[in-house]
Amino acid sequence: MRFEEELVELLPRLRRFARGLAQSASDADDLCQAAIERALKSREQWQDGTRLDSWMYRITRNLWIDERRAAGRRGVHSPIDEAATQVVGDGAAEVEAGALRGDVDGAMARLPDEQREVVMLVLVEGYAYREAAEILEVPIGTVTSRLARGRETLMHLLGEAA
Amino acid sequence: MSFDPATVAAFVDGELDDLTARRIAREAESDPALAAEIARHRALKARLTAHFAPVAEEAVPERLRALLVDARVDTSLADRREAKRARFAPVHWGAIAASLVLGLTIGLKPWLPAADVTSANGTLVAAGPLARALDTQLASNQPADAAVRIGLSFRDKQGRTCRSFEGAVLSGIGCREGERWTLERALRGEGRRDYRQASSGALAADVAAMLAGDPFDAAAERAARDRGWSD
Repeated sequence: MRFEEELVELLPRLRRFARGLAQSASDADDLCQAAIERALKSREQWQDGTRLDSWMYRITRNLWIDERRAAGRRGVHSPIDEAATQVVGDGAAEVEAGALRGDVDGAMARLPDEQREVVMLVLVEGYAYREAAEILEVPIGTVTSRLARGRETLMHLLGEAA
Repeated sequence: MSFDPATVAAFVDGELDDLTARRIAREAESDPALAAEIARHRALKARLTAHFAPVAEEAVPERLRALLVDARVDTSLADRREAKRARFAPVHWGAIAASLVLGLTIGLKPWLPAADVTSANGTLVAAGPLARALDTQLASNQPADAAVRIGLSFRDKQGRTCRSFEGAVLSGIGCREGERWTLERALRGEGRRDYRQASSGALAADVAAMLAGDPFDAAAERAARDRGWSD
């Protein structure tokens, strides 16, 4: 199958992944657009026969991380991050958890970037630990420890505790 | 619970080997705490999956799809350009020049600039500035900015005097027949610098194939001109 056709087929999943990372629908599609443009520009770097999806997820994730770091350098903090800091600072985590019950987006937004991306790759996109580690270019142990922390936070915030 | 949280999570994620997975499943049947822990993990996963699933069901926005559809259009455009280049490869330029020249000749439009080529009795012959250059210009003594540059002059295997030339529009080899220069070879000219080498190389090969003896030196070239290019 042609490179472009494979990418078109991948788009629904890629948008889902981007939505989990970037939160807002428009930011997520901007991220997808940047990833597609990057992929078209550097298509010769993709080796035929290797998985295009992993390659695209890596491009998308790296662009997102770049964007987040650039925003951090500009001193841009998302309002959600500030709210979370404030609530935790007040020692009112239980209040927050109650307010977030059922709000998956809100709970995901409170995860640190490195936990959010692992949660998306493994729990939502269904990648194996090893595949997630390859996409993120980190050791498997890093994937499992970030995943465990992300899970605990989400369970707490979403009220999944047994 | 005899399994650490990471192992339980790995069980839910399908990351355990079959043996360990079976042991956990069996133990969960008699260990409510373990069963609850597994259920908790499964519930979170199901919740996240259900939450994000609709995104993948949405129609992909046109602005994203267009990037890839347009890329395909671009590729086919490139293919067409490639095909076009192939059709206009230098080897066809002789034929194109011939048809252009025939059109000019048949049209007989005297207000047009003098053509370098015309046809006589079904063969292409040099005309206008090209004919003058072949008649008078010496390779050993030609202006640097000459419109037509003469290459080699030589006698071919049929005994004719022939001269190779390169111009902006047309390059080739003309051979003297009576009062005319019959064009034995016509290639696209060296108007584009990067064609120069190829055209010179092709001409040199043609000259070598036609040549009887050695090409004229400067004195022989001058003497041939003074004789009017005939014996």
